[in-house]
Amino acid sequence: MIGFLTRRTGAAIIVLLVLTGAVFVLQQYSPGDPVKAYLGANASPAAVAAERVSLHLDDPLLSRYWHYLTQAIRGDLGISFRTHRPVVTDLGAFLPATVELVVVAFLFALLLGALFATIRTLAGTLVRGILLVGATAPPFLLALGGIILFYAHLGWLPATGRGGDGFLLAHSLVTGDWAVFGAGLQHVVLPAFVLAVAPAVSIGRILRASLQQTLGADHVRTARAKGLTEAAVFGRHVLRNSIGPGLSMAGLQLGFMFAGVVVVEQIFSWPGIGNYLAESIPAADYPAIAGVTVVLGAVYIVTNTVVDMIQALADPRIAL
Amino acid sequence: MKPLRVTAAALTAVLFAAGCSGTSNDDQAQANPAPTDGTLTVGLLGDIGQPPDPDIYYANNGLAIVLNTYEGLVQYEDNVDTVKIAPRLATTWEVSADKKVYTFHLREGVKFHDGTAFTSAAVKTSLQRRTDVKGGAAYMTAGVQSVDTTDPATAVVTLKEGNAAFLDYLASPFGPKMISPDALAKNKGSDNAQTYLTTHDIGSGPYELSAVQTGTKYSLTQFAGYWGTKSPFTKVELPVYNDSSALELAFDKGDVSAIVAALPSSDLKKYESSGAVDSYLLPTLQSALVTLNPSGTFFKTAEARLAFLQSLDREKLIPQVLGNRSEVATTLYAKGMIPGGADKQEINYKPEVLKAYAATLPAGSTMTIGYATGNPNAQQLATIVAAQMATLNIKATAQGYPTAQVFDWVNDPAKGPDAFFDGNNGPDGGNPYMWGHVFWDKSGGINYFGCDDPAVDADLDKAVLTGDNDLFVAAATKYAAAGCYLNFSYNKDWVVTQKWLTGVAESHNIGANELNFAKLGIKS
Repeated sequence: MIGFLTRRTGAAIIVLLVLTGAVFVLQQYSPGDPVKAYLGANASPAAVAAERVSLHLDDPLLSRYWHYLTQAIRGDLGISFRTHRPVVTDLGAFLPATVELVVVAFLFALLLGALFATIRTLAGTLVRGILLVGATAPPFLLALGGIILFYAHLGWLPATGRGGDGFLLAHSLVTGDWAVFGAGLQHVVLPAFVLAVAPAVSIGRILRASLQQTLGADHVRTARAKGLTEAAVFGRHVLRNSIGPGLSMAGLQLGFMFAGVVVVEQIFSWPGIGNYLAESIPAADYPAIAGVTVVLGAVYIVTNTVVDMIQALADPRIAL
Repeated sequence: MKPLRVTAAALTAVLFAAGCSGTSNDDQAQANPAPTDGTLTVGLLGDIGQPPDPDIYYANNGLAIVLNTYEGLVQYEDNVDTVKIAPRLATTWEVSADKKVYTFHLREGVKFHDGTAFTSAAVKTSLQRRTDVKGGAAYMTAGVQSVDTTDPATAVVTLKEGNAAFLDYLASPFGPKMISPDALAKNKGSDNAQTYLTTHDIGSGPYELSAVQTGTKYSLTQFAGYWGTKSPFTKVELPVYNDSSALELAFDKGDVSAIVAALPSSDLKKYESSGAVDSYLLPTLQSALVTLNPSGTFFKTAEARLAFLQSLDREKLIPQVLGNRSEVATTLYAKGMIPGGADKQEINYKPEVLKAYAATLPAGSTMTIGYATGNPNAQQLATIVAAQMATLNIKATAQGYPTAQVFDWVNDPAKGPDAFFDGNNGPDGGNPYMWGHVFWDKSGGINYFGCDDPAVDADLDKAVLTGDNDLFVAAATKYAAAGCYLNFSYNKDWVVTQKWLTGVAESHNIGANELNFAKLGIKS
């Protein structure tokens, strides 16, 4: 286990260096002047030139990258050209919203994926139908349709925002503030559902195929022949042997969800890092872009590491 | 699989029907009720971008926050269609004949939000901070030599040289705002209170900044000690919507009270024809502009540039794309900047000029027409004009560019498109220098392609010393002859509000594309 974690940590450092390096190279060669975002559109070329010097934007690429890395090690990811705040402060403000959205969406995806894979009644057909329609629609269309139906027409759910800041759901759950928790849930349901639909179908399809394969296996036939109930057969002999591919897909989808929040956060005005990234890109706010890249890269690596560990726990044949 | 397919098809139909029936005018026939909790909700399209610090903030989306928490010495007069300086924290003022000494008699009984009384010391502190912070609009105080504060009720500002635009600098929505010297000293830190002012304010305006959730919501609370008129709104919420459709839905439902200059012109008809809401078209100094790139291959000569500008049928394009909020611009500066309209723009629709010019071009000539991504009006204009070029055998492409890229062209104009359509842009204030310098001078901020004539710059620099309108007109005429620029249309601010909101036009002025919330009310 220690060897596995050491290898993964080493790989993570290399991946993060490559990612941040790529952002700096892009910054060097992409057209765009971030200083206008910093000073404002009408700022004169003289003011812009002075600020470029002040922000070290005219320094050589390697010098800037080295400065960035040495500062990053100390927990300083620079100042956002757009918000004028430290990127770490911005990430601290926006990341909890994204984490809560993705966690809820991931739970939805697991639940819906499991329903997709396992229920063989009319209700299951209905769930699969809803999910397939949702998964084939572009996320922005699904989001807008959801807002029109559940906010504008039915008035059941809010259209935008999240009703507070920080780890709203987690904090209100721990402190027993049920009013805030309820309001937070109301806000998160729609964006989380939109974010969860496509991953739920991916997880559900893999799990369903795996289950069907296992259900036809010899050991399952033997278990049935021994007189075990269908629930016992499924629980003890089918699910555990089938869950590996589903888990693997779920881990992959969790990483994709973090990367895919941009569109969903934009439409639902969800104050997360997806929104932050979407507003930073047109302004060429590279410290912010690099900061989000580091976070997303780290999340992806950690997620996959955790999934590998869970898979090993679920199936002892897998060695770490 | 069959039942699954049937279910999927049925669900698609249901969702499609739900989506299609979303926003018909019939649904809005009923006006939404007024709030009973004293809260006004003004929807923002996108986050404000920069901190709401008056010496930093140099964009449009968050001006409402700055202008309702801070006040300047003067402002532009509300609810008039002309550029006229009006009192705010200065009740009267005198300007020396050489435009070097500005004497302001200050309003009595004004308190900052921290309780500090407003005196001439605050004027000195405020102008100094503007210079020290070095934000985008620091140029406005760069010429200040001294501020005499001997009399607490009078501030005498002496400039290094005459500047006829100085009052406009002060009246500009981006101009220096008065800040509490005590609050500044207390929260100065190592960055002149820049960090503190990301989440607080130290102004004297009718509202205090009470909560900041960057990217989500900004909240203002009525300042109990405000010297002026107070509205029935004790709280103003400014939630951020990142999608215009979501913002519209919230407005239609009554969750948003007003939207200021945020919706695309394509929605104009919908709201103008709705009996359930009010739609206002209010005067501004803003215009749609066309800028041509002399560094590209297509528009190297003035002949080519002028031929293209004359091919634009503005009488048709403006109603088609911009609707009632715009009209054909007939002057080179903003509407009404030069009294009497002496700055006449002599570009008229003559498509035959470009046709004749195009006939001389080699086959397969190409042209790129740019617009800023996220500006649907400019995109539509660029697309239509590009299609029209095809009839002249010119292969034109409309292409969107991110804002940061647009502002980088001046460093290397050859990287820019041949033409750029700017859906809405304007000067910082109402003085002709603020228009000419920004758009025509290479050292201004929005001369995208660096199309410059030193003689024009010299005229502008000379004219601003005295306010000589004839010289401003001469500079404009000279610049127009180069064909780099067209004042395409005069634009208005489009404000939509719930039916119960009153005082909208009265709370708006030509310089600030925002509302003074203190002047708004509820229809009884």
